[in-house]
Amino acid sequence: MSAISSAVKRKVNWVPPAVGLALLGLIVWRMVYLHGLNPNFNASFFAGAFLRSFQLGSLYALIALGYTMVYGIIRLINFAHGEVFMVGAFAAYFLFSTTPMAWPVAIVVALVVTYGFMQILNFWRGRLTDPLVLVGGALAFVAVSVALASTTLGWLAAMVASMFITGVLGVTIDRVAYRPLRGAPRNSMLITAIAVSFFLQNFGILAFSNRQTPFRPPSFWTQPLQVQVAGETLFTSWMIVLVPLVTAVLVVSLTLFVTRTRLGKAMRATAQDAETARMMGVNVDRVIATTFLLGSMLAAAAAVMWGMTFGSINQPAIFGILPGIKAFAAAVIGGIGSLPGAVVGGVLLGFLENFLTALFPRTAEFPGITEYKDTFAFLAMILILLVRPSGIVGEDLSEKV
Amino acid sequence: MNAEAARVAGAAPSGAVAPAGAAADAAGREPLLELKDVTTHYGPIRVLHHVDMVIYPGEMVCLLGGNASGKSTTLKTILGIVRVSEGEIRFRGERVDPLTTSDRIERGMAVVPENRRIFPKMTVRENLEMGAYLRKDRKEMDEDLEYVFSLFPRLGERLSQLGGTMSGGEQQMLAMGRALMSRPKLILMDEPSMGLAPLFVERIFEIIKQVNDRGISVFVVEQNANVALSIADRGYVLQTGEVVLSGAAQELLTNEGMKRAYLGET
Repeated sequence: MSAISSAVKRKVNWVPPAVGLALLGLIVWRMVYLHGLNPNFNASFFAGAFLRSFQLGSLYALIALGYTMVYGIIRLINFAHGEVFMVGAFAAYFLFSTTPMAWPVAIVVALVVTYGFMQILNFWRGRLTDPLVLVGGALAFVAVSVALASTTLGWLAAMVASMFITGVLGVTIDRVAYRPLRGAPRNSMLITAIAVSFFLQNFGILAFSNRQTPFRPPSFWTQPLQVQVAGETLFTSWMIVLVPLVTAVLVVSLTLFVTRTRLGKAMRATAQDAETARMMGVNVDRVIATTFLLGSMLAAAAAVMWGMTFGSINQPAIFGILPGIKAFAAAVIGGIGSLPGAVVGGVLLGFLENFLTALFPRTAEFPGITEYKDTFAFLAMILILLVRPSGIVGEDLSEKV
Repeated sequence: MNAEAARVAGAAPSGAVAPAGAAADAAGREPLLELKDVTTHYGPIRVLHHVDMVIYPGEMVCLLGGNASGKSTTLKTILGIVRVSEGEIRFRGERVDPLTTSDRIERGMAVVPENRRIFPKMTVRENLEMGAYLRKDRKEMDEDLEYVFSLFPRLGERLSQLGGTMSGGEQQMLAMGRALMSRPKLILMDEPSMGLAPLFVERIFEIIKQVNDRGISVFVVEQNANVALSIADRGYVLQTGEVVLSGAAQELLTNEGMKRAYLGET
């Protein structure tokens, strides 16, 4: 019985991957045939692409975590997540640029931010003592104080504050747009998500004015960095170290939160079986709100580092779209609903893009295919969906039910 | 099935089976859980129709009935997953029907859901911890963990195994252990025998009896009427959302209509 069903399954499953792989082969062959590989590709190029892969991949991973967490818990593809990311960047921009904060003002801001942070966590902790409140509040306070002590850490203060603001935005979106639709068919929520995304784009135009904005907080990390690799000089910035570092810290804290704390366990339980979690006494709405809070905070962290990496942020109307949709592709590649999957998918997408750029760059005599790197991100997603719909890390979908 | 069940209702001699509420009231006990005139709807469809039920402290009561008779809905109504549209629910004297599910859990209810519904990608320990989600006292929780392990030694051996990789019987043990972890006054069980081997069904009911002997009231929804009635104190029979028969378990076991409809005897 099982042998038969698996044979049938194989017959059905072989065709799409074969077609997909043939398509990919054709594209790669055309690419190489038309342009040849980058003649300058060497160890230095490789090292640069390798490091940048982790940098860009980390940013994708942070955004993808928001998609995957929300999907895991309410089976919603939150199309507004890219715009949440955009708001995160602009919130940080206004925090560190338009107000050169004087000391007293800065202290008041730090206190307000910490207090808000504590209030939010206090609301979530319910009637139970949770060390999360104190740790969260203290962390925010320390981060902001340290940041204020040295001007080169202003970006960190901006990032923490922006994470707070954006987290509140995520919770508000859930409360206003998604929570009234909890019992509704899934398509209603999906359409609402698209509506929220349009709303935030236009809100961004109104609030931040629709222009590309320089994003250069005074910081040691954005200083240029030159490294000698295989006799050639590699030009980059310290962001190449900072981004994976901050991402690692955030991912590790998220993992600890999800596996060790009471609320984190409730979150996993809700993702696995919301009704039973409710029967254990879990306040499911609160858990969902927490998911939006954390996802949006990670997006804000990614947004600040994105701006620092590229030195500018795009118009609010379009800034969130491409990073958002590519991070979504990353989440699908890794296996949507799975936290390690989002990280794996994000880093993989980073590698794909950077190595395409390194192998087929655009020069005067060498047209290259760098312009098509977005196409390849989505092609990778389509291929994964054909070959392994549950993603690289995600479990077999048939197991869920 | 329907026709047969209807005959049960008709065949029940009104004198032979006394109304459960009246019989127990004579002992002068305060009810632990009381459903008064409860009606519920799924959208426009009425599921429960003026249901009255009482569970006294320390009692084991079973709820019998065919498919789609509203058994599971009764449990969900008690838990607050389905809202009452008429009537009221009292738990330990307090009206709980306006409360949320988690508030009711906190007041001392626990549930062993239908199909066990353990969390498949959490370990045995984490599943048990989820049962104690609303509790604060770490020490009391450890005591209860010991108690659960004494009932189900196999759970203690497999603390770090993922729930989804366990057999059906082990999952049933885990689901019961999880419910006990909240140190409940009342355990609600939905079809604990479903999909289990006969030998396991007996063991599970033995353990339910042990739990009940400890003073925890048990309300069990069961298709397997024979086994359930053999250990329960009282029973209710539900048919298309109405209580058609109720009484002491022994009386139900010997009731002619019951025998024909549910106990598989001719």
